[in-house]
Amino acid sequence: MIQPPAIPEIIQLIPLKSYLILSTALFVIGIIGVLTRRNAIVIFMSVELMLNSVNLLLIAFSSYRSDPTGQVFVFFIMAVAAAEVAVGLAIIVMIYRNTRTIDINFLKKLKG
Amino acid sequence: MLTDFGILLLFILAGLGLLGLILGIGRLLRPDRPNPEKNATYESGEEPVGNANVQFNVRFYVVALLFVLFEIELIFLFPWAVVFGNEDLIQQTDGRWGWFALAEMTVFVGMLILGLAYAWVKGYLDWVRPKPAIPATESPVPAALYEAINKKYESKTVNKT
Amino acid sequence: MYPIVLLSVLGIVVLYLGFLKSKSILLPATLLFLVVAMIGNFFEWNDGELLYFKGMFAVNKLTLTFNAIVLFSAFMIVAMTQGFQDNEEAQPAEYFALMLFSLVGAFMMIGFENLIMLFLGVEILSVAMYVLTGSDKRNLRSNEAALKYFLMGAFATGIMLFGIALLYGASGSFSLNGIESFVTLNQRSPSYLLYAGLLLVLIGMLFKVSAAPFHFWTPDVYDGAPSIFTAFMATIVKTAGFAALFRLLSHSFSGIYDFWWPTLSILTVLTLLVGNIIAVYQDSFKRMLAYSSISHAGYLLIALTSMTKQTENAILFYSMAYSFATICAFGVLIPVAREKSLEGRPNESYEAFNGLAKNNPLLAFVLTVSMLSLAGIPLTAGFWGKFFVFSSAVERELVWMIIVAVLMSAVGIYYYFRVIMAAYMKEGDTATIRIAPFYKIVLIAATLLTILFGLAPGLFEAAM
Repeated sequence: MIQPPAIPEIIQLIPLKSYLILSTALFVIGIIGVLTRRNAIVIFMSVELMLNSVNLLLIAFSSYRSDPTGQVFVFFIMAVAAAEVAVGLAIIVMIYRNTRTIDINFLKKLKG
Repeated sequence: MLTDFGILLLFILAGLGLLGLILGIGRLLRPDRPNPEKNATYESGEEPVGNANVQFNVRFYVVALLFVLFEIELIFLFPWAVVFGNEDLIQQTDGRWGWFALAEMTVFVGMLILGLAYAWVKGYLDWVRPKPAIPATESPVPAALYEAINKKYESKTVNKT
Repeated sequence: MYPIVLLSVLGIVVLYLGFLKSKSILLPATLLFLVVAMIGNFFEWNDGELLYFKGMFAVNKLTLTFNAIVLFSAFMIVAMTQGFQDNEEAQPAEYFALMLFSLVGAFMMIGFENLIMLFLGVEILSVAMYVLTGSDKRNLRSNEAALKYFLMGAFATGIMLFGIALLYGASGSFSLNGIESFVTLNQRSPSYLLYAGLLLVLIGMLFKVSAAPFHFWTPDVYDGAPSIFTAFMATIVKTAGFAALFRLLSHSFSGIYDFWWPTLSILTVLTLLVGNIIAVYQDSFKRMLAYSSISHAGYLLIALTSMTKQTENAILFYSMAYSFATICAFGVLIPVAREKSLEGRPNESYEAFNGLAKNNPLLAFVLTVSMLSLAGIPLTAGFWGKFFVFSSAVERELVWMIIVAVLMSAVGIYYYFRVIMAAYMKEGDTATIRIAPFYKIVLIAATLLTILFGLAPGLFEAAM
């Protein structure tokens, strides 16, 4: 097995707590975006922001623990997020073709 | 004592300050006599038409989507590339490591190729050309007459051009 | 592990079979592939506990049984599609391939041993379902359902991922064993990262199984999606989701049971109340089934909350009984709604069932059995499902929760019987609905199984 290298000093310069606070802040911004915006694309971007805050957090934890599995998870998140983007954009384009709008307030056929 | 990031911050601040200073000096010194020609976007005389925020043709969308999908799968090649040429591993396994890693990646890329081939056969990679609609008119004059006239003057137009 | 590999490859095969001129081969091919996967599933039956992919994926009797339930449900639903031959615009090859791929995701959720696997499984299942929900491209309702499902699903995934990241930060591992050993080591001194992470992962997963208060997308999505895919969602996604939740809570977090059970119990009661009470006010049968699926998530959550030795069995049996009954209900809904279509749209209201018993006694009987099973009336599988769930809660002495659940089952009888009343008591002009013989066989098989397991629930345990 390849031995994991010790944590470089340059990483320790910024405490782990800062990363935690930053990514939590990004995550909360994403959540607020999803809950308040009305444009499907902007909601979508907010979701991506949430995913990227997770990536940041995982990489921070991973380098502080000198454990590469966290970074592997980030690869998977990126690839899966791309697949999600593809499907999500396809759905949005499909709706745009039918209704000529992407404002989610116009979508209220389903009620009850 | 400044940390590395402190120095970086100083650089940024100094850069912004210098920029502001130079622009400010320029503003004080230069004459200010605007006219319509000077304010035009392209001084070459090209008139801009319409807004820059036009919507792109939907045809770009499928291609872009496919690109995003296949491009992002490449990140799995990076960790593979790191261990593929690892000399320790190759020596420990008498060279079998390289073949093993290569076969694994062939399987992975093969699946991607299957996906791409599916999109190709389905025709999503074809660039759809716009079909210009020939305007239909309802006129009492039959089309054959027009054709006859066209034929009659065909030679002259060819000569002209 | 065989079904995962088999279905991944065979899914691609189905996709490419779609290029053939004749589309009629797709349905038998898909059914054949499901049978192959089922056989592959039981290859490892006697091998005990197996680990694959460097300990990231586990196979044991529990996961194999869950796999079998999922595969069997999928088999029945695929058989009911009849190859999408009545729809000109349909892309049967892609639908079938997506169904097979989504099953792979379900298997990964059932047998995950590492949170990476859980995440991948959830995503494979969900992304395929987003597409299938929106598969009726010209229908605005289907479009809207797809967008809602997608946005809510992606949102839930984000929350779950943040939870996973926090769990990793606390314990330094993604594997269930690693987290478990961290939990047992630090039982006395709680790590807030771990608690926050667990809560966020739970929220993300409860979103997927549509437990209140994260249920609001469910009625709209179930209502808007094409009925056949709604049946797929209501059975397979729910079964896989509860298998994953059970695995997570029983495996890694049993050490901090005292922390998570109060939270989960509040959500359970909320889910039961919301699901059952709102279902009463529905006019559409399909929408009622959506709320009923929320209420059944509540019953399954009772079993999870109590987390005793019986829980495993209770969840297995309950999800099986629920799946079969739901498939029957949708199996009746689809031909009836198509027959009574209004303005070119299938009529899914209760009125569509008026007078069904007179000319279609078989459909009415299947509907009755499935409704009885969903309501938990004795002599059906649903009764024993509820019985096992309640008895596991009795063992934990969660009496107040059982009282709520029993009251809510009584409410459930009201809305389940409404459609039976419509079929038998009310006058209507239902013509004889012609259904394909294969479709009939599937309906009868599911009904017989529901009655069989209702008469002899011990059969199931004997098979385990």
